[in-house]
Amino acid sequence: MASRKKVLLKVIILGDSSVGKTSLMNQYVNRKFSNQYKATIGADFLTKEVTVDDRSVTMQIWDTAGQERFQSLGVAFYRGADCCVLVFDVTAPNTFKSLDSWRDEFLVQASPREPENFPFVLLGNKVDLEPRSISSKRAQQWCQSKNNIPYFETSAKEAINVEQAFLAIAKNALAQQNSAVDLYNEFPDQIKLTNTQKPSNGGSSCC
Amino acid sequence: MAAFMGFYHIHDRGRVHNNRDYRDVEDPTPPQISPVEDQERHLQDALSVVKAQAFHMKRALDKNKLMDALKNASAMLAELRTSLLSPKAYYELYMAVTDELRHLEVYLLEEFHKGRKVTDLYELVQYAGNIVPRLYLLITVGLVYIKTNTSLRRDLLKDLVEMCRGVQHPLRGLFLRNYLLQCTRNILPDTAEEDGDYPEGTIKDSIDFVLMNFAEMNKLWVRMQHQGHSRERQHREKEREELRILVGTNLVRLSQLEFVTLEKYQKLVLPGILEQVVSCRDAIAQEYLMECIIQVFPDEFHIQTLTPFLKSCAELEAGVNVKNIVISLMERLASFSQRAEAIGTEGLPKKPFYDPNTIFNPVLSAGTASVLKDVKLFEVFSDQVASIITNRQNLPPEDMVSLQVALVNLALKCYPDRVDYIDKVMLNSAEIFQRVEHIESHSHVARELQKLLRIPLDHYKNLLVILKLEHYAALIQHLDFNSRKSLSIYILNNALDHETIIPSPGEVKQALTLLDTLVSDKNDQATTSLDMEELAEEQCLLARFIHHFKADTPDDQYLILTTARKILASGGSQKIKFTLPPLVFQAYQLAFRYKNSQDEKWDRKCQKIFQFCHQTVMALVKAELAELPLRLFLQGALAIDQIKFENHETVAYEFMSQAFSLYEDEISDSKAQLAAITLIVGTLEQICCFSEESSEPLRTQCALAASKLLKKPDQCRGVATCSHLFWSGKSQATNGEETHDGKRVVECLKKGLRIAKQCMDVSVQVQLFVELLNHYIYFFEKGNDQVSVQILNQVILKIKEELPNLENSEETEQITKHFNNTLDYLKSRLDTPDTDGISFEGLEI
Repeated sequence: MASRKKVLLKVIILGDSSVGKTSLMNQYVNRKFSNQYKATIGADFLTKEVTVDDRSVTMQIWDTAGQERFQSLGVAFYRGADCCVLVFDVTAPNTFKSLDSWRDEFLVQASPREPENFPFVLLGNKVDLEPRSISSKRAQQWCQSKNNIPYFETSAKEAINVEQAFLAIAKNALAQQNSAVDLYNEFPDQIKLTNTQKPSNGGSSCC
Repeated sequence: MAAFMGFYHIHDRGRVHNNRDYRDVEDPTPPQISPVEDQERHLQDALSVVKAQAFHMKRALDKNKLMDALKNASAMLAELRTSLLSPKAYYELYMAVTDELRHLEVYLLEEFHKGRKVTDLYELVQYAGNIVPRLYLLITVGLVYIKTNTSLRRDLLKDLVEMCRGVQHPLRGLFLRNYLLQCTRNILPDTAEEDGDYPEGTIKDSIDFVLMNFAEMNKLWVRMQHQGHSRERQHREKEREELRILVGTNLVRLSQLEFVTLEKYQKLVLPGILEQVVSCRDAIAQEYLMECIIQVFPDEFHIQTLTPFLKSCAELEAGVNVKNIVISLMERLASFSQRAEAIGTEGLPKKPFYDPNTIFNPVLSAGTASVLKDVKLFEVFSDQVASIITNRQNLPPEDMVSLQVALVNLALKCYPDRVDYIDKVMLNSAEIFQRVEHIESHSHVARELQKLLRIPLDHYKNLLVILKLEHYAALIQHLDFNSRKSLSIYILNNALDHETIIPSPGEVKQALTLLDTLVSDKNDQATTSLDMEELAEEQCLLARFIHHFKADTPDDQYLILTTARKILASGGSQKIKFTLPPLVFQAYQLAFRYKNSQDEKWDRKCQKIFQFCHQTVMALVKAELAELPLRLFLQGALAIDQIKFENHETVAYEFMSQAFSLYEDEISDSKAQLAAITLIVGTLEQICCFSEESSEPLRTQCALAASKLLKKPDQCRGVATCSHLFWSGKSQATNGEETHDGKRVVECLKKGLRIAKQCMDVSVQVQLFVELLNHYIYFFEKGNDQVSVQILNQVILKIKEELPNLENSEETEQITKHFNNTLDYLKSRLDTPDTDGISFEGLEI
């Protein structure tokens, strides 16, 4: 039914602090990069209109705080996500080690219907920097072990692979949404097709 | 536009009679949050309503029935009017609702593009009867409106941020304004400010908009503190902590604006924020927001606004932990400066900069390096820290010290060469303690002070640099005895680990003064009983350290040793037995150094050194020690013998005789006596400098002493040992050659045999015979003609006779083994005769 309608996709970016989550989003949405470091606190999003396979899509990209102390209200915004982007810094081994816990935490908190098939995308950021401590091979192995997560090596600074990565993110998110749209599941319980009472009788219910 | 806005207000007035009264009309009673167990149920109820209403809303949108959709949206939004939920649960509900509102927004945008009248939509939005749903819808519509027609942007933004005042319930108001902030993220004007009228707005309008929203949110947040019963304060503060990110998001938004340049930040943004922070007079808000400023704005801004920021810190409420704020800023800027330094010198950072403790991005523009040079980071922080300490009366002393710790870290990171900065911090810290009377051991402040004192050690890994700090020693004095002691041990370990050499008398004196707790016997906690094991461990460290006193020239080294002794001698008998021996050994080494030097006066200098040694060892004697000084005297005699300075024979004789008199007067334990006489004999055997008239009495004395030992086996062994003096011992009379007085050798051994026979215990007797046999074999092989094969045969026979009579025991086994080994050796000599001209012919095994 929704084929002609504009699609809304919710994408969450996760990863340790200072791996470049905000920078990746800014590079993708605004095509801008700044060397200055500003910590993200809480979570908010930017939107970007894209066309994926001839469909007009609005991507809502949630940038989040890597530091837990900046999430004092919890992570309710994980819910309803269509894709989760995990980011690490290829020059910082600790950020790679944290990936498992980010992924697990996301699956617990967002509780998607099919956790095994929920789309993640992994970005290894800062490939412009030397020396690398996480090789492509190592990252790819991790991705394989997690049900073949797509992997991109990016540089928010040099705009390397950012566009491609987000396109893949959009495609994965879209595929997820299409498979998840199940009208009858979304339908509220109290609707009964057989009988008299309609759920909304068109008039004065709201005031 | 104005007409449109007016229309807006009229509607409000029409509904609630007075547009001032619209505040809180939806909920006049104070918030009553239900118990935790009910939270989940309330949330689930609300979420299922949201789900149902959202479903209908989307269906209505699909069918293009906007009117119906808005009604559903309004019903969905009405769930946000609840007072039953905790912040976290409310956040979850808010997320669910705003996710769904997004569908309405997308639809509206399309409708606008299709040309639907704006006024139409506003008309419809007004159907929401309650203020909360109405304002959410207004924001949603307003946003869509701005997106399609930017010429209304400036006025609409202003209007929306004003309208939100309509909700004064803290929780609901905070989330409503968060929604406003979130929705406007993409559309805030972000262009340079210019003269003239810009209805689309400029950066100035964005700043005003966010600052106003910030101020209003902060007020709502602060007001939470004063609502409800005082016994729920703790609970309330926890909820406030949870909600803080909503307020902080305003600051994030400001930092995201590209045209918030340094200038705008200095002139508008920071003063605006600080004014609100200081004037709200709420400790929780102040502490969080100051930290937030530090985190969300870039270092490049902080470094140019240190003074106003730190001044505001001094004005914060008493309950605010100013220390943490200042330290957090210092740490951030120190890392920033380090990265700038790395870039300034090399263009690119050489190591991976990721450090789990910091949160900084490694990339940095090169221009900042020069800024850092202009801004005197250390001075600014040092001054501001001083004024914070003076002005904040109730700042606990441990916090004052923590600030000093942060200052030291800053100085070390940014100005590693400026030791004077470190010293200044030490001085400032010492001044703090002029006011603090007594520091309890294990208190917070004692721990902080220890930390402060350890940092320069950890950093420089060089005690010598610490000795350059004039105020370091004074600061240590403020610690209690135990803390000083543990610091002393830390200093020692540091010097030992890093093999720090102390090269001058002055530095030795300084170092030993720092280590006062270990060196002197003053103890302001004298009541504690002395743990000897602990003492030994500490003093051994100190002793190892003394070996690190090494001057470049022998003369300086001598001064070092005299200086050190003067100080160490005050340690009392328990300590000097550990600390003086290394000095004595150092002195012996120094004498060798002089001997090998070109120094013309080496001769007299060596004499002086041995005088020094003599005195030092005598100090140990005075401390009622015997075995230790005895050994040191013997060691000295050996050194003197080798160095051969003028008069050395007399000095060596003195050392030997001192050893002897210690043996005679002070050593009473028979085992210790045997060990001592063995050492004396061994030493005497080595020394060749004595004339006959010195060596003869000494040898005789040894033999006499040996034969006077209390126990027979000891006598036997002692006498046998003495036999060597008459063979391999040297003297002036023999021109340094071995004496080879075979007769006296055999006399000794015979005496040994006699004594052995007197032993009552047969097994001891046999054991001694076997030992004596070995002595005989030794001298026989050396060519002593007084030892014959017959004598060997006699001893062997004697042993063979007695051995079977021994009872079976481990001891007997040992003896038998020893004897058999000896026989095996003799057999092998018989089998390969004449290898060295000694014939064992006639030997009966």
